[in-house]
Amino acid sequence: MNFYFTYFIVAIGLFSFSAFFALFGVYAERKISAFIQDRLGPTETGKFGSLQTLADILKMIQKELIIPAAADKWLFMLAPAVIFIAVYMGFAALPWAPGLIPSKINLGIYYVFAIISIETLGILMAGWGSNNKYSLLGAMRSAAQIISYEIPAGFAIIAVVMIAQTLNLQEVAIQQGILSAEKIKFAGFWDVTSIGGLFSWNIFRAPHLIIAFVIYFIASLAESNRAPFDIPEAESELVAGFHTEFTGIRFALVFLAEYSMMFLVSMIGVILFLGAWNTPLPNIGPVHLATWTTGMAWGILWVTLKTLALVGVQMWIRWTLPRFRVDQLMNLCWKVLTPLAFACMLISGVWRLWLM
Amino acid sequence: MTLVRVLFYFLSFIAIVSALYAASSKNLVRSIFVFFVTLFALAGLYVLALADFVAVTQIVIYVGGILVLILFAFMLSGKETLNVIKQQNSRIISLKTLPAILLAALFFIVLLNVVLKADADNLPWIRESISLKNEITPNAIMIDNIGVNLMTRYLLPFEAISILLLMALVGAAHLSRKEGKA
Repeated sequence: MNFYFTYFIVAIGLFSFSAFFALFGVYAERKISAFIQDRLGPTETGKFGSLQTLADILKMIQKELIIPAAADKWLFMLAPAVIFIAVYMGFAALPWAPGLIPSKINLGIYYVFAIISIETLGILMAGWGSNNKYSLLGAMRSAAQIISYEIPAGFAIIAVVMIAQTLNLQEVAIQQGILSAEKIKFAGFWDVTSIGGLFSWNIFRAPHLIIAFVIYFIASLAESNRAPFDIPEAESELVAGFHTEFTGIRFALVFLAEYSMMFLVSMIGVILFLGAWNTPLPNIGPVHLATWTTGMAWGILWVTLKTLALVGVQMWIRWTLPRFRVDQLMNLCWKVLTPLAFACMLISGVWRLWLM
Repeated sequence: MTLVRVLFYFLSFIAIVSALYAASSKNLVRSIFVFFVTLFALAGLYVLALADFVAVTQIVIYVGGILVLILFAFMLSGKETLNVIKQQNSRIISLKTLPAILLAALFFIVLLNVVLKADADNLPWIRESISLKNEITPNAIMIDNIGVNLMTRYLLPFEAISILLLMALVGAAHLSRKEGKA
């Protein structure tokens, strides 16, 4: 029975982590946006406004839950839960450190990819259930965008999987550092199996994966409905898109899902391309930096730092670039990213056969 | 009862109830969302049968792809069109539905017959595989097996399907093309 008890603890731990991250993420987002726009951001609540998001969530919990009279009640109530659970379930297969992974399934990345696609259904549910033109338009835009961008993201992921030869995320992670059982070559010629560090990350093992990483990163922005791909919730046209009608804790759930999604897609990017929980410090001669900084606690630290850095880039992009138009968005996806991702996949095949 | 058996009955119950609701509901959009529950329960059953790859593929293709496309079609058609279906005659047994009921009942009898006659626990090929240790364990990695089989034993069907999909793609591109000013 202890066995099942651990599962519950892991599940609750992941949930509280994503809730905590959403609180921290919203605060960071507001501070970063303030910095970019030369403002101060929240300053009143707590030191440097650090309690602002806590106050926000307290306010949201107290708010009345309004269901529009013409809404489809069940779909409307269930939609935020479906959206959040879809993202939350994705965390189950992501490794945090050597030997530390909530669920060690050998379909890892494929499972995460499948579970994320359920979010689309939740968004459509919210859009249809609200019975509101803006919500419906937002939901349809979101679905069209997510389905389209899943294709370049999928092929970028396949390019990595072809190099790694496994779908198990923990094995993908092990291959990118000094714990690897097989031989690692930097850019296909320099044996760095015992050096590790930065040089054994996937993007340096096979340099064309840098392109694949950029493709994946752009597509992941679109999949989490972040600017410059935030046409589903374009304030200037659609009020707030698919979550226009949501109030109180339901709105908080939609927000929680968005921030968890940001963390999830960044973490997948880190695991697949940027060395997962492996240290960026290499072994240099007698100075075994990589060996010293590999372990359970170090693993958690590295993966969190790298993921937060990527989340930071996502926020930076959001407050720097203007929003895409629908046709520009589809052009970018189908005419630029998809062919490039195909090319990456082809190069991966050749690379694996001749250079590894 | 072991946990696996409890889960099996639980998932089957969800699958059957949600499928019945999806078939009988007058609210078409809601029945599509309930169909999603059916597909999810089926994916769970696949996992219990150690076919986790099939389960995940089912979610990717049916939930992430086909269901969303069906919903898209509904959302483009508007509520008035959907309301017509709601006002239809709701009697279960009528002259219009008689052929469908007959067909469904006959098919059900055939299925029942197969289940009762098959005696799945004692099939000769299953017994042979168990005695030869040629069976799947819960920790087995199935992807390699699937990949190798697709590229060797099932290569012809695989290629045939890829040509079919290519034809569908070409057809879709042709239909959506702008007509030139001839």
